[in-house]
Amino acid sequence: MFYKVLEDVKVIEYGNMVSAPFCAKILADMGAEVIKIEKPCCGDESRGLEPFMNDSPGVERSGLFQYLNLNKKGITLNPENATGRKILNQLLKNADIFVENNPPKQMKALKLNYQRVKQINPHIVMTSITPFGQTGPYKDYKSCELINAHMGGVGYDSVREVDISHEPIKAPAHIFGFQAGLSAATATVGALFQQSVTGDGTYLDVSEQESIIQNMHSVFRYYYNKQIVNRTDVLDRAPAHILPCKDGYIHHANMEEAEWWHFVDLMGNPEWAKNELFKDYTSRSQFWDALKPLILDWTKEHTMDEIYRGSQARGSAIGALYTAKDMLADRQMAERGFFAEVEHPEIGKLKYPGVPYRFSGIPREQPASAPLLGQNNEEIYCGRLAYTKQDLVKLGEAGVI
Amino acid sequence: MMNSAFLKGVRVVAMTQVWAGGWMGGILSDMGAEVIKIESNKKIDILRRTIETEGDLNRGPNFNGYNRGTKSCNLNLKKPEGVELFKKLVKISDVVVENLAPKGMPGFGLDYNVLKEVKPDIIMVSVPGFGSTGPDKNYISYAATVQSIGGLEASFGYPGGEPSTPSIFMADPVGGMYGVLAVCSAVYYHHKTGKGQHVELAQSEAIMSLLPEVVMEYEMTGRIRPRMGNRDEIMAPHGCYPCNGKDKWVAIAVANDEEWQALCRVMGNPEWCKDEKFVDQFSRWQNQDELNKLIAGWTKDFTHYEVMHKLQKAGVAAGASLSTEEMNHDPHVKDRGALIELNSRKVGNTLTWRSPWKSALTASNPASPYFGEYNDYVFRTLLGLSDGEIAKLIGEEVIY
Repeated sequence: MFYKVLEDVKVIEYGNMVSAPFCAKILADMGAEVIKIEKPCCGDESRGLEPFMNDSPGVERSGLFQYLNLNKKGITLNPENATGRKILNQLLKNADIFVENNPPKQMKALKLNYQRVKQINPHIVMTSITPFGQTGPYKDYKSCELINAHMGGVGYDSVREVDISHEPIKAPAHIFGFQAGLSAATATVGALFQQSVTGDGTYLDVSEQESIIQNMHSVFRYYYNKQIVNRTDVLDRAPAHILPCKDGYIHHANMEEAEWWHFVDLMGNPEWAKNELFKDYTSRSQFWDALKPLILDWTKEHTMDEIYRGSQARGSAIGALYTAKDMLADRQMAERGFFAEVEHPEIGKLKYPGVPYRFSGIPREQPASAPLLGQNNEEIYCGRLAYTKQDLVKLGEAGVI
Repeated sequence: MMNSAFLKGVRVVAMTQVWAGGWMGGILSDMGAEVIKIESNKKIDILRRTIETEGDLNRGPNFNGYNRGTKSCNLNLKKPEGVELFKKLVKISDVVVENLAPKGMPGFGLDYNVLKEVKPDIIMVSVPGFGSTGPDKNYISYAATVQSIGGLEASFGYPGGEPSTPSIFMADPVGGMYGVLAVCSAVYYHHKTGKGQHVELAQSEAIMSLLPEVVMEYEMTGRIRPRMGNRDEIMAPHGCYPCNGKDKWVAIAVANDEEWQALCRVMGNPEWCKDEKFVDQFSRWQNQDELNKLIAGWTKDFTHYEVMHKLQKAGVAAGASLSTEEMNHDPHVKDRGALIELNSRKVGNTLTWRSPWKSALTASNPASPYFGEYNDYVFRTLLGLSDGEIAKLIGEEVIY
């Protein structure tokens, strides 16, 4: 864990890939005990996804899996099997929180829908994360990060300089699956607070599509413009753009007059900046096509770091398009200790993104590496559920664990 | 819509502005907390003055959308009496949330150490762009600067192309959601231990925490993650294809051979489907440029919804690339009540979204507060000031 905030809270995760595992990771980072249930054959699908340590694949070598499952315990279990389900019910009986992201039909078939789960444990907070939620015409539609992004509107509303002959695109990697996990964890901790006050359990139906819709401030512009024929109809015309520089890219985002004039100062107060066309924000927006090449002439001669730090030190709003290399070398992240070094028995010591929050009243702790496949079987099955070691052999042979 | 009243009885003082801050107030209010938003004529939230408002502070569509359900009161913290009233309010509250620049609250003489003296178990949650500590804490933190440092922008764009300037700004909703998570976990900890504390978080780090592949790829292989547009590491087809209509598109993702065969069937098994270039996943992935053109030749004769429903019926993941307008009319989004029209009485009726979860604890549809609408409630009802005292404070521009 990073901070012991949710001490003694017991979580069962029956999740796969990103959304539910990230929700449970957030709880584990805050000190809850998370027992992650994985398929006996091969575990969470994310174990099979890039990047792999030294480009050498293996179930314990995926960077995505390792990050998503820091600080958890892991067991193998097949709830499709009657004995497996019985074991899962025993675990649920003693849990405070149950997190899952399986298709609603599958959960019902496994008798793991909330109606059933609350009979086993009325006190439990159950959080289900699915692409479209538990109700509505698309609830059983097949989906993934790509489909979610486009159905959530952030494909159509993704880029500023739209060429409508090019397709709408999604944001990188699994960012929306992670965002859904974050939304789910927030609601789950809210429900946990209520549980601790009243003793009541609750069910949370989290929709990834709805989580994605939150990114769309174009909702408000649409409400006034009223009609969208193509992607350019609700564009924000502000002169804020990504521009190439000598060794990368910067994001020019000056809005206030003073911010712009600080940037002009950084550029050495060129003559062209006095041109009437560029006198204020509105005019700079209108004549951006004339302004852009003039700025580019200067940015191309300067490095990302020079422009980012030079402008920010003067009070000008410019960002730098950081790659992983830049993030890991950044002085701000270093000073704040954002990246966490974690040792893993197979892939060794690596730096992982840490947590963005700091609790003043709770000491920061060293996070633990993700569980090997079935790592905590003996601890949980023998230590807590009174199976013998020989039982485990049989349960393994029978495909239960 | 107050859709999960978990924080009933929790009072939050919100010293918030623009998106991430206003957004926290809206979600906390959705969760049943009483959120008192401090506003002043000295510095009016820019979202109360966007172009659509036509000069009416109560018509800001973004403002009303984010700050739904909160209670606005006016307090001028540049006056010592204003600061004292703020402290009195803190005394009867559980949480203070703020997203000012790191020098903001200390500038008013209201940093955590001061608030702690007023109320030893107060919880304070700060959500600045780059964090409250470190050499760059005072850098200007607009969504664009924060999410570029957070690594979202360098890998955002078409394959082989330059980075695209995003028109989505995730630093605010993501930073804001983490802020609400911090509030929920801190009130839980307070309930268990009786202790308050200061939680601060950096929006830039919040973005990084959602993009581990970017860092892990470099850590594990030494490579910088390329821009991939709609592409996947191994799935193909995995893209967005043109449909019948102006600027209409559908996304299709095929994960295995079974789904590929289902896609071919729906397309009417054209001859090219049998080409050995597309025979298995690896071949399809290698030849995806050609494959994408062929699929686009099929999708263009149908609407994006037609393609989506046909493919979903056959067990293939597909979804229309929806505009906000289409989403507002989409039968599923409507059925879920994901977008709501705020109950805004006489002005500024606004389309917004509720928090992205549903639970059995559902309550009323909230309104967005007029500027200073709850002055009477806060100063008379909560703080017990008399009419005379209130009139005097208004005259002195303290309640202002």
